[in-house]
Amino acid sequence: MTAHTVTDSAVDAPGALDLDKLFAARLHAVRVRPFMATALFALHVVESRRVPTMAVDRHWRCYVSPAFVARTPVKELAGVWVHEVSHLLRDHHGRSDRFARARGLTGPAERLRMNIAADCEINDDVFGEGLARPRDAVGPGVLGLPAGELMEEYLLRFRLGPHTQSLAWLDCGSGADGLAREWDLGPDGAHGLSAQERDAVRFRVAQGINARPGSAPKGWQRWADEAFHPTQPWRELLGAAVRSAASGSGVGEDYTYGRPSRRSAGLPGVVLPSLRRRPPRVAVIIDTSGSVSDSELGSALNEVTAISRAVGGRRDLISVLPCDASAEIVHPLCRAAGIPLMGGGGTDLRTGFARALRKGPRPDVIVVLTDGQTPWPDSRPPCRTVVGLFDRESSSRSRAEDDPDYVPDAPPEWARVVSIGPSSGAR
Amino acid sequence: MTTHAPFAPTDAPTDASAKAPAPDSQLDVAGQLLALLRDTTTEPRPDNQLEALTLAVAADLPVLLWGEPGIGKTAALTQLAASLDLPLTTVIASVHEPSDFSGLPVVGDDPAAQGVPMAPPDWAVRLVRAGRGLLFLDELSTAPPAVQAALLRLVLERRIGALQLPPDVRIVAAANPRSSAADGWELSPPLANRFVHLQWTHDHEVVVRGLGGTWPVATLPRLDRERLAEAVGFARRAVCGLLSARAGLVHRLPSNETRRGGAWPSPRSWEMSLRLIAFATAAGSSRDVLSLLVRGTVGDGPGLELLASLDRMDLPDPETVLADPAGAALPERGDLRQAVLDGVVRAVRERPEKSRWDAAWAVLVRAMETGAPDLVVVPATTLASLRREEWDVPASIDRLAGAVSLSRRADRAAARTASVAKAGR
Repeated sequence: MTAHTVTDSAVDAPGALDLDKLFAARLHAVRVRPFMATALFALHVVESRRVPTMAVDRHWRCYVSPAFVARTPVKELAGVWVHEVSHLLRDHHGRSDRFARARGLTGPAERLRMNIAADCEINDDVFGEGLARPRDAVGPGVLGLPAGELMEEYLLRFRLGPHTQSLAWLDCGSGADGLAREWDLGPDGAHGLSAQERDAVRFRVAQGINARPGSAPKGWQRWADEAFHPTQPWRELLGAAVRSAASGSGVGEDYTYGRPSRRSAGLPGVVLPSLRRRPPRVAVIIDTSGSVSDSELGSALNEVTAISRAVGGRRDLISVLPCDASAEIVHPLCRAAGIPLMGGGGTDLRTGFARALRKGPRPDVIVVLTDGQTPWPDSRPPCRTVVGLFDRESSSRSRAEDDPDYVPDAPPEWARVVSIGPSSGAR
Repeated sequence: MTTHAPFAPTDAPTDASAKAPAPDSQLDVAGQLLALLRDTTTEPRPDNQLEALTLAVAADLPVLLWGEPGIGKTAALTQLAASLDLPLTTVIASVHEPSDFSGLPVVGDDPAAQGVPMAPPDWAVRLVRAGRGLLFLDELSTAPPAVQAALLRLVLERRIGALQLPPDVRIVAAANPRSSAADGWELSPPLANRFVHLQWTHDHEVVVRGLGGTWPVATLPRLDRERLAEAVGFARRAVCGLLSARAGLVHRLPSNETRRGGAWPSPRSWEMSLRLIAFATAAGSSRDVLSLLVRGTVGDGPGLELLASLDRMDLPDPETVLADPAGAALPERGDLRQAVLDGVVRAVRERPEKSRWDAAWAVLVRAMETGAPDLVVVPATTLASLRREEWDVPASIDRLAGAVSLSRRADRAAARTASVAKAGR
């Protein structure tokens, strides 16, 4: 067993680390959370007397205080194992670093806040179902915050103060908040995992969860879905879709042999193309029939107009067609942005398409903002189409109650679809 | 003369004696200051990004560097060209016209009889004359679509007008990610599939140290002539091993908006991947470098699966372990050790024989004595269930008593947790 542990040589041991107890707890943890076995076994145990309880570093070493193991029952130790490994699986140190850099946060107090927020993210669904909750586990409830959110969301919603005083001892190590600790062995120390090995372990765990959906809690399934394919904020996706539609060939800035180039005079005998600019015409069709909230619709519309301006579109080349009688949201928005507004009326998106295409000159890009509860045109329109689809689980459920046989059509193949969710993924 | 203020006009008569200690002109002083600023030292530092780029360039695959503007892509290319001893030609794509890459049509005397030749630009002619070089196509993503179309023919077919680039010319392109450029452009899936995508990021520490006067020099990988055949064999085994087990990974078009324009698996990109594994193996590169290359070629998911299967290839073969339980080298890392033990037990289950069963117990005892005891519990339970009636329990099983008590302890903890949960309800 000595091959498996490194003793912190700075302090001489009055009571040795009870490895059997520690490993019995790990065995219990593996039995109740089989999908985490790879990660739990990959952790390398380092005995340390400077750690208050148990802590991890970003190289997947787990520092353990012998006194803590001696005073904690096996069932609670198992919970601590799973908790610590969750920090590493969820990349809390990397996310803390990114958060700190993006917001210019420094100092140990901020890192403590990150540790608390990371604990909240983990603890709301990691315990139960055979795994006991350790006595001192911090949950979002302690801070008066709702469960089920991400670390970054919690970080925006609480500050350190008297009510967090009791949490000041909390220390899950540099693996939880990114701040190097004095006991850390560092990147050159023994038994660390390289970046690729860390990814491989996380990948195996995610694969294990995806292979047997239902065996892992919902929070872990979400993690497994997103671990290696992070969801991108819809703004960026919508931006990319509209940009690529509006700057495709035939639209925007491009070369033409139709007119002689300015360089031609200097190069007799050489045939040169000239640069020509044709700003894209963008038609935005807004389906206001759904339960789309004003602010979401407003930000989506603003996003589309900002992007089409960035690709060279002029104000008069963007038009908006509200596709419902209730156009009172769209009108002030368009007036404020100086966008010409086409008349409302009609709840069928097909009439919206028809109207956008009837209008001459024809648009280069049609952007549809809808909740998808609509029939779509049968044939591909003669221009690029981008669909911003508002995620409305609740509205589709209520419609299904009205008419159980009603299944809304999925957006057609020829459109590029971007899901617009209520919040953007933080991972 | 020395008392003159720097910018005061010298209206003194210019006789020879006054000229002797001529004051430095302001430009000379500026030159000295610049020289001081340029006076930096270098330190060796491993750089995975640069190593991956070097291998991909050596493997003659088109590389696309994705990175925000101003983070040292050009500086990296300069270093790469110096170390490969290739002259560097940089072409900023966004300031060129499509005909600069597809050839300028020059109308001759009788186009109908002689055709219209497509004249290449001078840098291309020089490159062909030199016969070797590193061509860096910068700012691919901000060029108009027609220029991009012409450039892609250059990258993929290595042709500029009528000119064919010699095989010793290596091409690297750079692009800004679509979120950073307002008029960003994205690759269509067929084009994305032809590139090795490398994400170019800056290392905060390197930048700060560099501005402080110490820039890193990366030691670039050297291909080992002795290992070439072995590297090819290894790469073929790795890719074929994975793809024969996971047929679905061979071809998978990117389905959603997030993954468009990036790397995705297809027979072509797997072939590129195979080539890169062989190069990385021959160069003795680390798994981190290989990870960058493989994930940049076939995408994150399939790339990680390939790397995971490589890890399994590194593990000792169960049959070898069973043949010599005392001499078997069990991995130090818990999860890998567990995989080996599971493999050993599985091998016994597939071909149950008394001698193999005994050998497996010996392996477990060895694992118990050299590492964490909890790893042994599950394989031991499974192995015990494989026992045939006529088989005697080996004496060494007593040495697994620690694992049994550990298992009981975990059982008790589970029972207590369950009873507490029941009482809580």
